[in-house]
Amino acid sequence: MSRVLLVDDDIELAAMLREYLEQEGFEAVAVHDGESGVREALSGRYAIAVLDVMMPRLNGVEALRQIRAGSRLPVLMLTARGDDIDRIIGLELGADDYVPKPCSPRELVARLRAILRRVAGPAEASTSAEPLVVGPLSMWPERRSASWRQQPLDLTSTEFSILGVLARQAGRVVSKSEISELALGRPLARFDRSIDVHVSSIRQKLGARPDGSSWIQTIRGQGYQLVKA
Amino acid sequence: MGRLFWKFFFAFWLSLLLAGSGVGTVVWLHRQAEAETETGPALSGGPRATVMLDAAEVFLRRGGSQMMREVLREWADAPGAAQLFVLDDTGRDLFDRPLPGDLRAAWSAGDFRRGPQSAARRVVASDGQAYTLVARFDRQPGHGRPPRRERPSPAQPILAGLLASLAFSAAMAWYMAKPIRSLRGALRAVSDGRLETRVQPSMGRRRDELADLGRDFDRMAQRLQAQVHSQQRLLHDVSHELRSPLARLHAAIGLARQNPAKLDMTLERIERESVRLDELVGELLTLSRLEAGTPGGPPETIDLIEMVASIADDAGFEASASGRAVHFTGDGEVSAAVQGELLYRAVENVVRNAAKYTAVGTAVEVRARRLLSPEGFEVVVSDRGPGVAEADLEAIFEPFYRADNNRGTSGYGLGLAIARRAVSAHGGQLRARNRPGGGLEVTLSLPL
Repeated sequence: MSRVLLVDDDIELAAMLREYLEQEGFEAVAVHDGESGVREALSGRYAIAVLDVMMPRLNGVEALRQIRAGSRLPVLMLTARGDDIDRIIGLELGADDYVPKPCSPRELVARLRAILRRVAGPAEASTSAEPLVVGPLSMWPERRSASWRQQPLDLTSTEFSILGVLARQAGRVVSKSEISELALGRPLARFDRSIDVHVSSIRQKLGARPDGSSWIQTIRGQGYQLVKA
Repeated sequence: MGRLFWKFFFAFWLSLLLAGSGVGTVVWLHRQAEAETETGPALSGGPRATVMLDAAEVFLRRGGSQMMREVLREWADAPGAAQLFVLDDTGRDLFDRPLPGDLRAAWSAGDFRRGPQSAARRVVASDGQAYTLVARFDRQPGHGRPPRRERPSPAQPILAGLLASLAFSAAMAWYMAKPIRSLRGALRAVSDGRLETRVQPSMGRRRDELADLGRDFDRMAQRLQAQVHSQQRLLHDVSHELRSPLARLHAAIGLARQNPAKLDMTLERIERESVRLDELVGELLTLSRLEAGTPGGPPETIDLIEMVASIADDAGFEASASGRAVHFTGDGEVSAAVQGELLYRAVENVVRNAAKYTAVGTAVEVRARRLLSPEGFEVVVSDRGPGVAEADLEAIFEPFYRADNNRGTSGYGLGLAIARRAVSAHGGQLRARNRPGGGLEVTLSLPL
């Protein structure tokens, strides 16, 4: 059973969501401000956190920054619909996904499951203990760990999944909608920039190739490609 | 360069040209008149020629032609001296020097006054012989008294004046037209939505009506910017506030779908949320009506003291359920023609707010009284709650303000905003301060 941490200042909403999640087979705990949210998230007792962006005192973005400083706990952000800034900042800070608010609890649960499935690792990956090697990159899907030039690579679970999709098809162009389906477990929505934000975060972690270009290349209008060398 | 520049330019230039030519004409006329009254050219020889003639006359009278001859020989060597001719009655010079043509002409005409650069005098010598003395100047430059100055050519000063007036007019026109151009650019920028535009920096240290205009423009832009900003924030807050009940509605519907057995309970929730949405929309409409300054109907005459007393009673009754109290003090009667409903809501919002925040077991004090000078009415509502940070004492009257520590409490943060606007609509004021000993004191004052 997955323990879900709900951080939302709307007490009634949090109570209803908790009730819904419990019916769906999750174990849910709700806290109502950013500070206790960060404290709980860093306690290591949760599989995933749902974080509201608009909160008094410590808002969701700041809370996420503090959580990321100490943990790779998967985080799902609840953002105001249409507030792109919050969403993009959240993803840049390492949120795994976001759900615009107000949302139906069904959608929330679907996103939670998608992230948790990714973290658990794809079934096919568990068959091989051999690392997936592309150039200086080695990935161990069953351990959810990766190394870059023999140095451990610190990736959030979403970044790991996206890099995994690109690595498995290294040298080929992978479309954004394919990445969204395979890595995020959901179809690509219109105007959805989350893949781009995650990819640019991965790029930063990989650094540049000797000629200054990026290891992950953008093929305009088509998608992304991880170059082999 | 815009039209205005050219208009200024030509106006300045034309007036400079007119002024210049006017002054020029006056000076020219003046000199012309001076020339008319000038003594004739007989004296054009100047004092030196006169002195020579005087001396020659004395020599001729006393010493006769013999002495004159010696003197003339002396003078002939002196540099810069005037040429002196001594003519007898036949027009022959004493030394037989040939007479220059112009002097000869003057001689034959018998009039030396018109001769150029000369002076003449008739003298009877000691030997009885009559002579005519004619002094003539050497025209060589540097010799003798400089000839009378030529009238200078007017071309040079006219050209200089023209250039100077052009430059001055251009500078002046630029000086006038430039701030207007920058104002125009700023106006256009503001109308394009760039409200952060200011013209003050481009005015420099200029101090005149145009600079004042720039300052006024900046003030206007600043007000506009602040207003637009607050409207945007309000819109943002409104959408956020509308979203919270919507999110709860979504969650409640989700719960009902998930577990139809709980349908009754979730329907109740859904109902509660829709009532909240309705209240919120109602309050927002009141707020926007107040901001737009639309009155709520004709004013009615009511007793304000009684109105406050009844509000305090109602609030006290409700507060008693949670162990709080509301005490009212005030007597007499203050009748005024007011927007009864608006004022009622204003006072009610303030009193209920106090009753909500005052600590359990404490009482809210409501004091209503008439003010004498100036004539007015005042309600003071004090609670024993947590108070408000000094920096936020004004902010609590902003829409959707909520202290960080009471997000969970009901309400939308519109009550005090509505109250303040309702009081302002009556020309009054609503202010807050922290009480000594803890708690908030809100003072509502109305002029009567």
